[in-house]
Amino acid sequence: MEAADAWRLTDRLSTEHGMGDPFAAAVRATRMAMIITDPRQDDNPIVFVNEAFLGLSGYSRDEIMGRNCRFLQGEGTDRGAVQLLREAIDARRDIALDILNYRKDGTPFWNALYLSPVSNEAGELLYFFASQLDVTDRVAAQEHTRFEKERFEREVSERTRELTEALAAKTMLVHEVDHRVKNNLQMISSLLTMQTRNITDPAARSAMEQMLHRVEALGTVHRQLYQSNNVERFDVSEFARDLATDLVRGSGRNDIRLHLDLEPVEIPVEKAPPVALMMNELLTNALKHAFTEERPGRLSVSVRPDGDYLGIKVVDDGVGMPGQPLGKGSFGKRLVDTLARQLSATIAWQPADPGTRIDIRLPRKVAELEEVP
Amino acid sequence: MSESLRVLVVEDEAILSMQLELLIEDAGHVVVGTAFSAAEAIRMAHETQPDIAFVDLQLRGGSSGLDVARAVRDLEGVMIVFVTANAAMLPEDFEGGAAVIPKPFSVAIMEGTLPYLEECVRRPPPKAARPTGMRLAPAYEARWAAAS
Repeated sequence: MEAADAWRLTDRLSTEHGMGDPFAAAVRATRMAMIITDPRQDDNPIVFVNEAFLGLSGYSRDEIMGRNCRFLQGEGTDRGAVQLLREAIDARRDIALDILNYRKDGTPFWNALYLSPVSNEAGELLYFFASQLDVTDRVAAQEHTRFEKERFEREVSERTRELTEALAAKTMLVHEVDHRVKNNLQMISSLLTMQTRNITDPAARSAMEQMLHRVEALGTVHRQLYQSNNVERFDVSEFARDLATDLVRGSGRNDIRLHLDLEPVEIPVEKAPPVALMMNELLTNALKHAFTEERPGRLSVSVRPDGDYLGIKVVDDGVGMPGQPLGKGSFGKRLVDTLARQLSATIAWQPADPGTRIDIRLPRKVAELEEVP
Repeated sequence: MSESLRVLVVEDEAILSMQLELLIEDAGHVVVGTAFSAAEAIRMAHETQPDIAFVDLQLRGGSSGLDVARAVRDLEGVMIVFVTANAAMLPEDFEGGAAVIPKPFSVAIMEGTLPYLEECVRRPPPKAARPTGMRLAPAYEARWAAAS
């Protein structure tokens, strides 16, 4: 009978279990490497070893029966792990750990060792039972994973460093370009200012001053964009305050009161220059023509959001539209009309009795992409 | 009428330096010198003892207006006003400077700023409305607020 034949292999195992014990047969035949040692004998020798252990370690049964297990250790075995094992044995505790062991032919393998004391009912320690599992592949996979993780982390930090440097370079470039734009705008207005001083013809002088105001309005846009630290959105109210204050002061007229009704309203930056130029045209025109000599007055500027639209109102209590040459054919009028087209804006000119009221309404968002048929 | 201010212009763009000179003189003040580099500016500041120095940040040969401010800040009675397209580069304390006029400035801004600065120098604290387009240094902001 197979059971009887099989048991012969465990003849030397002196346990209290009887012959033909199916559990003993199972231990013998399992693919899990197992040994049993006897701590009551000198140096805790091996008293049982199963086939699987012989297969794993490469030793024959005769070579290892009666020896202490430490022959499995070698130069690469972690002393700390050995110490833990020794402490568990002395304390009669079970222990599970991965330890580097060596086969008879000297090749190392990672051994997932489980060691556990076996006592009888009286509490006497009889044996230690140990099972071994070759987990070299698992440990290698773990090491590979750890290595890959480290390599990945190195690459990520390298890439992060590159991107940080690229961003710093880009930020510096934007800074530099911004600086140049503003310096050049300042130079253009410097040249216009200085040239204007030498012009005596009033019409030519007036034309030069108008050009200066246009350049200065664009300069104000750039100065404001830079100060706000937001180069994508532009607050029209903030601009209107600077522009109107600047123009009224520049007009040299102390008898014109400026009334501002401003609520923050942002537009995309690409709309800022045309909006700025348009407002500059309307305000300079009002200051120049609405308040003729000796006629004091009031100029009000309102900037308010109106849903998806931006509403700008310029109201003066001056001489009214007939006196203002921002009529058909003038360059100023053409400029305003063209800018309005660019902005998809509607402009309503109405008599304010006295004076003029100009209502501008334009979409705040950038026009959607049109399909080309 | 008040006594005119003595002003040093420190700017490496000749065109801008020239315009500043004209605007300052138009307002009735005296330009005591125009410097292109930091070293030149520091030497002139010691020689001329101006009331105000208008100082650009980027100067000839890569020199910096901040060095001018550092060298001049302990010089009695010299008020530094930065005029720069790089106002964001100014340190928190303006290196002892009183104010900054960011570029590009309009003629009206300069015309509004000069009378204000004149009050700062001659009759502090200034009572005139704060000009748009000029920013006071936090230390001066606090000083004028405490004085008024």
